[in-house]
Amino acid sequence: MLEVIKPGLETSIQDWPGRYGYLNCGYPWSGPMDSWSFRLANVLVGNAPGDAALECQFIGPTLKFQRNTIIALTGADMQAKLDGEPVPLWQSIAVNAGQTLAMGSARLGARGYLAIAGGIRNEVFFGSRATFNKGGLGGMEGHALKAGQVVPVGEGQGRAGLKVKEAARPVIVTDKRWQVEVVAGPNDDWIDAAGHERFLATDWKLSSKSDRGGFRLEGPEWTFTERAYHKLPEHGSDPANIVDHGYPVGAINLAGQTPIILVSDGPSGGGFINPYTVPQCAFWKLGQSKPGEVYRFQVISVTEAQQRARDMAARCTPDSLE
Amino acid sequence: MIYEQPRFLPGGDRFLTIEFGDELNLELNFRAQGLAKLIAEHQVKGIVEAAPFFATILIHYDPDLISFEDLKREMAALIGTLTTLDDVELDSRLIYFPAVYLDPWSAEAIDQYIEKINPNKKRDPEFVAELNGLEDAAQMVRVHSGTEYWVAALGFWPGTPFMMPLDPRCRLFAPKYNPPRTFTYKGTIGMGGGSTAIYPVDGPGGYQIFARTPVPIWDMSQKMEPFREAPHLLRPTDRLKFVHCSLEEFEAIERKCAEGTYQINAVGYQKISLKRYRAWAESLDRTARF
Repeated sequence: MLEVIKPGLETSIQDWPGRYGYLNCGYPWSGPMDSWSFRLANVLVGNAPGDAALECQFIGPTLKFQRNTIIALTGADMQAKLDGEPVPLWQSIAVNAGQTLAMGSARLGARGYLAIAGGIRNEVFFGSRATFNKGGLGGMEGHALKAGQVVPVGEGQGRAGLKVKEAARPVIVTDKRWQVEVVAGPNDDWIDAAGHERFLATDWKLSSKSDRGGFRLEGPEWTFTERAYHKLPEHGSDPANIVDHGYPVGAINLAGQTPIILVSDGPSGGGFINPYTVPQCAFWKLGQSKPGEVYRFQVISVTEAQQRARDMAARCTPDSLE
Repeated sequence: MIYEQPRFLPGGDRFLTIEFGDELNLELNFRAQGLAKLIAEHQVKGIVEAAPFFATILIHYDPDLISFEDLKREMAALIGTLTTLDDVELDSRLIYFPAVYLDPWSAEAIDQYIEKINPNKKRDPEFVAELNGLEDAAQMVRVHSGTEYWVAALGFWPGTPFMMPLDPRCRLFAPKYNPPRTFTYKGTIGMGGGSTAIYPVDGPGGYQIFARTPVPIWDMSQKMEPFREAPHLLRPTDRLKFVHCSLEEFEAIERKCAEGTYQINAVGYQKISLKRYRAWAESLDRTARF
């Protein structure tokens, strides 16, 4: 059991891959924004990679342990201290009943992950423990953690002193500039050649109006092909409007002239085009970037993106530990 | 139009969109719903889930179990078996939603938008009437409430219906707000493009709004019987009919819904046949209005 002393900015229980199977009813997957760090945190404490753990956004929580256990912190560096002593990232650590873990604001990266041996055992809703905070479902009472709550934890077999090999960790950039892979489509044929060129040659700035639902980007105007102008009225009047359709997770959704990357708690459908989609292998970079940081997009093929997702999954196993 | 061959479009490393056409048309949605049904029946290896929309279906697949190319091939083969849509009948509940048209809550949200965001915004009911060549807001209300609505998809928010009017005499079009509205009451009914929706919760929005229902479509309290299994009420292929009610009735129904004692009026024995629908729709004078 884990007592919440301070909840942090928005600390939520997530599992991976989240709430699959309900897209046709409009439920988002939820799940961690950086599944690479998330899975490694679980692997460090002897859990299955997808077990429920905490995602701490920008400012981490303060938590008190009610029994001896093994924990691991990965992802963003939130300057965590256990009873005042700094806690290293990417390692499994033994904690004792009564000890307090205090996390601060993210120094490098944006989201820190805390896994506990045995995994978090909150109630399962539609097949997942993941929190959809805005929707009020999953997690603890439907929302991010609140002070005073006691988070249930299972029995685990973790072992202290394990480390993730340097080569198996995601590299969080230090210069605030991210190279983000994208796959063209589904609606790339709505954008003209100049529009594509501009998209790939621009430093897109992540707006502060971003959350687990969508990442807004600031940059130049988009230009369109004929298809965007000559269409039936049911598409809507804006060039970026299309007859309402399902949105892939990771889609770069063009809301008028504002691109919004649809992320873990994003809408499952609507009436704007999606010229590009961020695949799994680059999704974690979104999770670790802060507002004001810059994205440069690079197109890769569907098969290349799939291969990179496999490479990432191969690193999220006990083979990556030493 | 309805494409002769569907288009297969990638979405990152684990989505495939199949586009059957690019208009609001019951036949296109029958194709999307029909393919979703076939995928479920055949339990196609590697498909995790499929979400039909108006004229498209979004397929989430596991690339470790099926490649993008193989998935396209398998889907093309399944779609090939869909050619006799004429004989397909889909179960379709008819659910009656009491609604106040030209309601004070939509008016309040519109006022707020005009005051704070866009002083030149024409008021939604009059704007939709004018754009569609109708006499006034009163006729817009008659036309909008004169038809059953087909739930083509659920999305955007859990359980939020994307609906099209089944009666061709009630087709309306409207652009979306630009920039969007910052506030809309839950239960507000509005439209954008050619589709009608109900807002599941209070929040921002982009549809032109002109009515409100007291009956929830999303209820985490799950008190009313139809919500026991899930916090969302509607299913694709449901039909909705808006029934005019007074402000007093609205408030009484809203109270009953909060208590969990309201009986949602759903009729469950009917089926929709594309063939019969098409024959009826083609017999109508499409320029007629109510």
